[in-house]
Amino acid sequence: MDIPVIEPGVIPPDHVAPDALQGIRRQQTNPKRWDGAGWTEFAEVLRSAGIEVVEQPSLRGTFATDAGGTAYGMPHGVVIARSAVQVADLLRAAQAHRVPVTARGGGLTTEGESVAFGGVLLDMTGMSRVLAIDREGLTVRTEAGIFWHSLAEVLRRQNLDYLSAPLNLTSSVGGTLGVGGIDVNSARLGCSADQAISLQVVTPTGEIVECSDTQNPELFQRVILGYGQFGVITEATLKVRPYTPLRLHYFYYTSLRTAIEDLQLLDRNDASDYSGILTMMDKVVNLLVAFDSDAREAAFMTAWRARLRGHGEAAVALRMAAYYALHPWRLGEALFLYERRRKLFPEFRRAEYTRGGVMFDRTVVFSRAVWKFWGGRQMVIPDLAASEEKFVEAVLRGNAVCRKYFRHYTLYCVGIKLREDHRAHYELSCVPPDARERAYGCEFEPMIGDQVIARDRLQSFKNEIYDIGVELGTSYYRFGGMMKGYVRRVFGDALVDKHLAHKRRADPAMILNRDVIF
Amino acid sequence: MAAGQRGYEACTGCSLCLLACPVWRATRDIRLTPHGRARALQCGATADELAASIDACTLCGACEPACPQDIGLVAMITGLRAELARHAPARVASVRDRMNDRMAARFAGSAAEIRLLPDRALAADPVLLGRVARLFGGDGKVSVAADDGSDIALALEAGAEISEARLERFLVPLRGARRLIVGDGMLVRALRGWLPAVRIESLGVAATCTAAVRDRLRASDLYVIEPRAYHADQERLVKYYDALRLALGCSMNLDLQRLAIPTTAGCLPAALGRSSVDVRDQARWILEGREFARIVVEDLNDIAAYTAVTDKPVVHLAQLI
Ligand SMILES: Cc1cc2nc3c(=O)[nH]c(=O)nc-3n(C[C@H](O)[C@H](O)[C@H](O)COP(=O)(O)OP(=O)(O)OC[C@H]3O[C@@H](n4cnc5c(N)ncnc54)[C@H](O)[C@@H]3O)c2cc1C
Repeated sequence: MDIPVIEPGVIPPDHVAPDALQGIRRQQTNPKRWDGAGWTEFAEVLRSAGIEVVEQPSLRGTFATDAGGTAYGMPHGVVIARSAVQVADLLRAAQAHRVPVTARGGGLTTEGESVAFGGVLLDMTGMSRVLAIDREGLTVRTEAGIFWHSLAEVLRRQNLDYLSAPLNLTSSVGGTLGVGGIDVNSARLGCSADQAISLQVVTPTGEIVECSDTQNPELFQRVILGYGQFGVITEATLKVRPYTPLRLHYFYYTSLRTAIEDLQLLDRNDASDYSGILTMMDKVVNLLVAFDSDAREAAFMTAWRARLRGHGEAAVALRMAAYYALHPWRLGEALFLYERRRKLFPEFRRAEYTRGGVMFDRTVVFSRAVWKFWGGRQMVIPDLAASEEKFVEAVLRGNAVCRKYFRHYTLYCVGIKLREDHRAHYELSCVPPDARERAYGCEFEPMIGDQVIARDRLQSFKNEIYDIGVELGTSYYRFGGMMKGYVRRVFGDALVDKHLAHKRRADPAMILNRDVIF
Repeated sequence: MAAGQRGYEACTGCSLCLLACPVWRATRDIRLTPHGRARALQCGATADELAASIDACTLCGACEPACPQDIGLVAMITGLRAELARHAPARVASVRDRMNDRMAARFAGSAAEIRLLPDRALAADPVLLGRVARLFGGDGKVSVAADDGSDIALALEAGAEISEARLERFLVPLRGARRLIVGDGMLVRALRGWLPAVRIESLGVAATCTAAVRDRLRASDLYVIEPRAYHADQERLVKYYDALRLALGCSMNLDLQRLAIPTTAGCLPAALGRSSVDVRDQARWILEGREFARIVVEDLNDIAAYTAVTDKPVVHLAQLI
């Protein structure tokens, strides 16, 4: 590689060596910051309407990045959402003054979608109260900034639970309905976005509108899985269900393909209530299978258990020992796996959550482990969402990319049941257009820990994963921020332009969550 | 900060601390939470800029075991309060005055194996204090520390300086103990650092280890754990209380993360009348959807909080015997 000599104190036009990222399309990491024209007058208008605008730099800095930790941007001011009326006032003023507004829930995006590159950061967590629970109808009405876990806390007092939500405790209802929301029961219950029965939305021009499959259905279609483009979700009515603890089984594989085939076998036949794959690289592949009732578990044991090709923990440990005995130069990897197993497995078996093979509060157990063992200052989680048929190939190719870039990583695979009547919701979303009854998602997650890795390197990794998607015609869970470049390549100009036209009509000044998709 | 704990730099902004924070629950204002403070500090905020947030914390300590990055969030608050006090000594003038009083007045030694260090509320109720002492064997076996250290607990909470001399006077009689039973959750944490050789237990744990209390707890009780001592040692105590809950069949003030939900009664912001948390609202939230016939509390301060929102009997552990 020909690295030019640079005199100390001189920053060349491109400070990365020209051939450093050969063959990889450079994507803009941080969108251009809004220039702040008219901010002072705008902030004054808000204040005179009784809206608090936080402008102190260190407090604005609280929101400078998202869970990804690679995209950074400072809002000019932060507004904590308090009511739909307040949000409507804000958006009307923002339209008039052409000031960008970025809504943020948990801020768990990883591509900067919930980062404000200037303008207003609207902190939706300020609206996070449960408004009403209908125990007979099994629904809950809640403010949309609420964390799924806080919702679970309230529901559990009534012995109820939400249907499915991301395994991280601190994503918000509103943020999740806009992007998807996948859980280990999504193969059966669908994504979180499909649990919404109706929403209160503040449109980009400041109208407060209720929408559902029957009331303002077009707005409902746009907002669900709409990446916050068509309105701020302020309230949501969601389906809930009676709470049940889990009967949990783990099966271990050394082949990704076999594990995925078994996962899909179970999903196709509705053989379990929960299913998903979590791996340590491609060496230890863990298929999780769980049930809400003894009857479902017994039916699985009779009809399906023997057909699974996975093994128990001891059998896999023996196989691994044999493998590493024959590959002694991979001792480092063996030690990593051993250490990981030693620390991670007890987390999943904590006595206060698990008794007699039954796990209580699975989201707490899994989510805490996710943050503890995978969390860090930088979290890079590119993903591919494919039809059932294409999924094995997508995962195997993505796995090869992970191997190339990182010594340690994890794959997380789950099925997502689709609703035929919600096809219109899925356009330009994480649900791939060719998926029929069920789509499959795989997250590729390097274990970075406390290391800090150059953004260009992380970007190269992500691009290689996303390029697989372009080639295979899959979709992605995470559009936005740096992924803008991929939307047209994946969905084609006609579909993107159709949605862009919708967006322009709904948001004439293009102020709401801009730079996420369009 | 305890060994192994990290500083605010380690905060990744995951927000897990918010889920258990009573101030967050009451205000939904991220600026007043551990997450908000840590991120602001990362962005260069000074203690003075964060004064409102620092003052709002109730020091229940629930955020600390919740933090996957092992940040010393309690030490962060006490450290920041101490910094504020250095900049504006008037903030803690009244706390300092109390300490000076006590320095002269309090000292007592004893040969008993068990020392009982009541919190301020228990120390002020001689009848109940006598019962607690009898629970652990009575005269000869247990001695009640004449110096309850409540001024020190208050100073820790307020960030006021504790002179070496005062601390030494407080600790001298405790050093000889084999077992120290401590009523004030704030002191449990600190004493573990000051007296590593002494077995230090919270009053709640010590009492529920006795047959007298266990025999009188019922499956229909709502048992209320004192949060500060619990969170200071949550990794171990979650197992202890879980076993207790299973053995007795009672319910507890634990959330889904197995963190103790505080009423926040008795914390410094509440004592100063400046708390952003409504104690009654917290008590109502703890009771919501729970079925119980009686409430048993470890912390005397909680009695008023619960009696204000329920007609069911509310008793202190010591009132069971
Ligand atoms: C450690 C970790 C684990 C994860 N695990 C999972 C998992 O198991 N399953 C899964 O599905 N995902 C997972 N994710 C992804 C993450 O959960 C989703 O991106 C998440 O659901 C987003 O919710 P949020 O509240 O954080 O939204 P944010 O990140 O705050 O926002 C997401 C998008 O929605 C917009 N938005 C936010 N709130 C609103 C609103 N009220 N109205 C309109 N637009 C809004 C934002 O502008 C942004 O564009 C994980 C992420 C991390 C970091």
